[in-house]
Amino acid sequence: METYFTAAVAGLTAGGAYALLGVCAVFTYRLVAVVNFTGAAIGTAGTFMLISLTEAGYPTWPSVLAGIVTGTAVGVAIGFVMTRWFATAGASTKAAVTAALLVGLIAIGLRLTGGQHPHVMPELFPGSAFRLAGVQVTNASALTIGLAVLFTVASSLFLNGTRTGLHLRALSERPMAAELLGVRVRLLSLFVWGVTGAFTTFALMIIAPQRSPNFMTLSLLVVPALAAALIGLFRSFWLTLAGGIALGILEGLASTVDVVSQYRSAIPFLVILAVLLWSQREARWDEAR
Amino acid sequence: MKRASIRASLALLAVAAVLGAAAVLFLSSYWIFLLTGVLITGVALQSLGLVAGRAGMIALCQMSFAGVGAWTVGYLNVAEVPGGLTVWILLGGLAAVPFGVAIGLPALRLRGINLAIVTLSFATAFDTILATITYPGQTAFIQVARPAPFDSDGGYFVFALLFYVAIAVLLEFLARARIGASWLAIRHSERAAAAHGVSIAASKLSAFAISAFIAGISGGLLAGYLGTLVAENFSMMQSLSLYAVAVMAGARFAEGAIIGALLVIMFPEILRRLSLPQDLGNVLFAIGATQALSTGEAMSETFRRLGRKLLPARKQPEKTAPGVLPRPAPGAAPRPVLSIENLTVRYGSVVALDRVNLAVPVGTVAGLIGPNGAGKSTFIDAVTGFLPSYEGSVRLGGEALDRLPAHLRARAGVRRTWQTNRIAPELTVGGYLALAAKGLPETETRKLLAWLDCPDPETPVAKVDAGTRRLLDVAGVVAARPAIVLLDEPAAGQSHEETLRLGRRIAEIPELFGTAVLLVEHDMDLVRSVCAEVTVLDFGQVIASGPPARVLTDGTVKKAYLGITEGSAAA
Amino acid sequence: MNWRSIFFAAPLAALAFAATAATASAAGPTCPDGAIKVGAVSTITGPADFSEVPKATKAAFDALNAAGGLNGCKIDYTIEDDKADPAVAAQAARDLIDNKEVVALVGSASLLDCAVNAATYNRKKVLSVQGLGVDAACFSSPSISPVNVGPYTLSTAMGYFATKTLKAKNLCAFFIIIGGTQEAYKKSIADWEKITGQKIHLLDLTLPFQGDLTPYVIKARDAGCDAVLTNQVEPQVVQLIKTVDAQKITGINWLFLAPAYTEQVAKALADSKQPIYAGTEWEPYTETGAEANAQWIADMKKAGRPLTAFSQGGYLAAKNFLKVIEGIDGPVTRESVTKALYDMKPIKDPLAGSPWIFGKAKTHSPMRSTKVMKLEKGAWVVETPDFVVLPKVN
Repeated sequence: METYFTAAVAGLTAGGAYALLGVCAVFTYRLVAVVNFTGAAIGTAGTFMLISLTEAGYPTWPSVLAGIVTGTAVGVAIGFVMTRWFATAGASTKAAVTAALLVGLIAIGLRLTGGQHPHVMPELFPGSAFRLAGVQVTNASALTIGLAVLFTVASSLFLNGTRTGLHLRALSERPMAAELLGVRVRLLSLFVWGVTGAFTTFALMIIAPQRSPNFMTLSLLVVPALAAALIGLFRSFWLTLAGGIALGILEGLASTVDVVSQYRSAIPFLVILAVLLWSQREARWDEAR
Repeated sequence: MKRASIRASLALLAVAAVLGAAAVLFLSSYWIFLLTGVLITGVALQSLGLVAGRAGMIALCQMSFAGVGAWTVGYLNVAEVPGGLTVWILLGGLAAVPFGVAIGLPALRLRGINLAIVTLSFATAFDTILATITYPGQTAFIQVARPAPFDSDGGYFVFALLFYVAIAVLLEFLARARIGASWLAIRHSERAAAAHGVSIAASKLSAFAISAFIAGISGGLLAGYLGTLVAENFSMMQSLSLYAVAVMAGARFAEGAIIGALLVIMFPEILRRLSLPQDLGNVLFAIGATQALSTGEAMSETFRRLGRKLLPARKQPEKTAPGVLPRPAPGAAPRPVLSIENLTVRYGSVVALDRVNLAVPVGTVAGLIGPNGAGKSTFIDAVTGFLPSYEGSVRLGGEALDRLPAHLRARAGVRRTWQTNRIAPELTVGGYLALAAKGLPETETRKLLAWLDCPDPETPVAKVDAGTRRLLDVAGVVAARPAIVLLDEPAAGQSHEETLRLGRRIAEIPELFGTAVLLVEHDMDLVRSVCAEVTVLDFGQVIASGPPARVLTDGTVKKAYLGITEGSAAA
Repeated sequence: MNWRSIFFAAPLAALAFAATAATASAAGPTCPDGAIKVGAVSTITGPADFSEVPKATKAAFDALNAAGGLNGCKIDYTIEDDKADPAVAAQAARDLIDNKEVVALVGSASLLDCAVNAATYNRKKVLSVQGLGVDAACFSSPSISPVNVGPYTLSTAMGYFATKTLKAKNLCAFFIIIGGTQEAYKKSIADWEKITGQKIHLLDLTLPFQGDLTPYVIKARDAGCDAVLTNQVEPQVVQLIKTVDAQKITGINWLFLAPAYTEQVAKALADSKQPIYAGTEWEPYTETGAEANAQWIADMKKAGRPLTAFSQGGYLAAKNFLKVIEGIDGPVTRESVTKALYDMKPIKDPLAGSPWIFGKAKTHSPMRSTKVMKLEKGAWVVETPDFVVLPKVN
């Protein structure tokens, strides 16, 4: 029993990362109606800017700032593509675009950063916060979870309680109508892309030291992140948060059971399959059509 | 339809035979090796063209299906199962089918984007599992054995070509059959497809199953091509970039799949010759796919468009004389056809329909009118099965329909049109009617179209103007000769002349097709001229019903309906 | 006269070459086409970059060509990228064999060249002197003989070092299994058990290539391992040790394979107090003063190539290959090269601890020795001054 608890706690680190990125994905979806496969790749781009600057000897925090600016810029760039050419396209088309862009981004990222040499990823928050069930919960993983919670709360408040939030929701649901209401759709969308870019970048800067900082593996964190977002049905921030953490814990647990350990990465797939079949057993018609 | 399939297939066979023979005769073994790779990738792209291009589902795990096929071939090879590579490849394809169906199952209820995530996580999961399984026979150096006549590079090229052509022909026939039309229809609008009696589940699952089968075959072909395989052949990144290429090239056409495969195989070759880095390929595929998605036109579609411009227009087949449509078989039809009792629909606390009663007698055209927001469309949705729940009962000739889903109601004989046109523009006019009415004879198709002054069956829907598409909607619902059709504002957007013509046709429907009509309209002239009975809805309640002459002059109706006083209404 | 002296002693080159040429004109390698075509398939773009290996091979060939070539024959060397994509790798191999008509492959280093192309090499009767064998097929194919130890034999050797030198009692092994390497790693551990007569304390073949490692280090700690052997590659080595430090685990020796032995790893882990060991493929490349490295360093400096372990592999492949073909009498063709490699005698080179041979065996894994490096304060220091040579497995 205790081994399982230990393993579950050990999985918290990964869970926090999934939750944080998942919440970012839901945020993007609810505000600009795009399921963004490039989410993690945008953050990764910013993170690698931080890495290359610190490797070149620049001080950490200014480099962090430069990294976030880079992530924001990449986010805005992708947002530009989406708003310029796909403003009126359907959700599926938009998702397809980001899937295609991910292929290109990973190729460019690997080209610029190199695949196999380890990069020295500065730990922004070194040390461990506390010990639980024989596992050191590091500052970084505590922070990841904390940040995920914070972002969940902030997003809910922002979307439901502020005028800009309402504007943005109107925009994602009916861009044409919002335009008629005098909302500057394009600018607002780009703003959202920039903000989510900045945020995922910061999230990945915290996550990266716990992972192997490789452009491709970090970019593909989008898979469990989107799985978490699906658990929240791309609507609920809280369910996404819970889903991400649950995925991480399940993975941790799986690593103690030798039979399933090997197939651990199938967990997100099986979980979302089950969740979707259950939660959408009633919904039959595609709302948009 | 069949004739067109045969014509297209023969053309494909001829082109394949000529190009194949030319390749084997004139090219060096290296180029033949490369072209074999093109064909195999082409098969994989065709599978993606089906599920993504035709049925419009984002499938990001196509290479995983191919991996299932490839590994199956590996096991069969090591076990020396009799039958040789051809049989193994087909078995490999079959082995991929259950995976395709399993992935397709959530697609039944999922919106497209969710499916994209499910398939991507499947690809990730499959990646790690495949990575732990060495390709069968690899450590013992057992190569996948090729059948004797196809052992050489040239021979295997011919082998792959045969598979490619067979699959292209198969897809050509499927595409022009009802099942192919149903894929295009669900991509365009699932509701509209269901309204024609198409089972969304069967349609999506068949798309996934056939697509997985073809992908499995491509994996098997790859096994014979390279002799042994590694997990990287089927990694998630391969699936992702294959998807980008399929979108870019337009893989739902046989030539699109080849164009895409040429890109996949020849790009590395060109980059190598130019001494450029190999990873440029993926960047270009990403840009190409984005470009194709933004214009909505893939490479093969561009070529087709340009090709049509260059080639002389095909001689239009003569319009069929407006011959006499066969009359419905006289039967002891129950009366009334459709009866609705106490139909109540609630959205939260809002009551959209409140105990509505309505009956449509056999052989008549009934009208349903009411101001905007009165609940007319909700009424149609409820009757045809597009609402999750309602109270009251809907009976067709005495049989309760309440438990049936939309597509079964359509099959039972309740058909509807939509306020906005929902015909998939990729279909031909004839293909659309074949989808709407299963097994409609070609002569009857032509007569029906002539009756409504619609264009020739071979005409693509995309080329039909908006007004005629509304007529096509009507043709679609009556073609299957259902018990009743519910027409949702068919005259919207029509000119006065067109409306008059439409009115005449609607009036003829009961006699020609044995179908009763419930007409929902705003055009009072139309309602007055064709309806025997009219029911008026306001705020979800029936406020009047009876012959139009009486109902339309009723004071409350005028007030409710147009919000106008009696004086101005008379004008 | 040995060709190597021509090669490395530049001032003497011309003289010495004339002498060799004089004797070799009677009997020695000739080239009817004016050049000997050689190729390599390497992962250059994509998830990894191994180009340092064939580039060192090229540097060695260029130096020979600059000195007049081998018996007047220039080496025409082509490096092709496979992008770690099997289809591209197969294309590249076919291009080299069918279009470039190479006599052999030398200095290849790829994530999957062996697995994808070993069968092609067999069928086309082309042999590959692999500069850096990575995947399992490199060490189990009749047509490939790598000049490096490789992760499988090295795993056995590091385990042997842990038992013999570090006196580990509870050796645990954690492996990442990708691309069907499971059998190969299981065999490494089985070989270690046979050699040492011990049982592996814990064998985990489920280490994730990407993902959080916390559950695994906890598992190692709770199982009571006193030495952990793992095949993590560079970035994951750093990740693993960082995770270990975050969990404040002590008392475990961490044993890595050659991919860990880089300056980047040393720098990234400069702060760690963990006992970290890494096995080398050849003479440690950081030992720039070592006699064994002298020629290699001189040549790389001349070619302007960096001094890395990868470049040792490419360089050694070139040297061994040239040594074999200089013994050919008559035209250097695919057939004559293949025959020469089949019939060759083992070559002992100071860069490697074991003699290298191709020969006619069904599998080739000739290199069976390593030097062990220890990470101390951000630098690798030699732990075993002599090569740790793995005894024969019975």
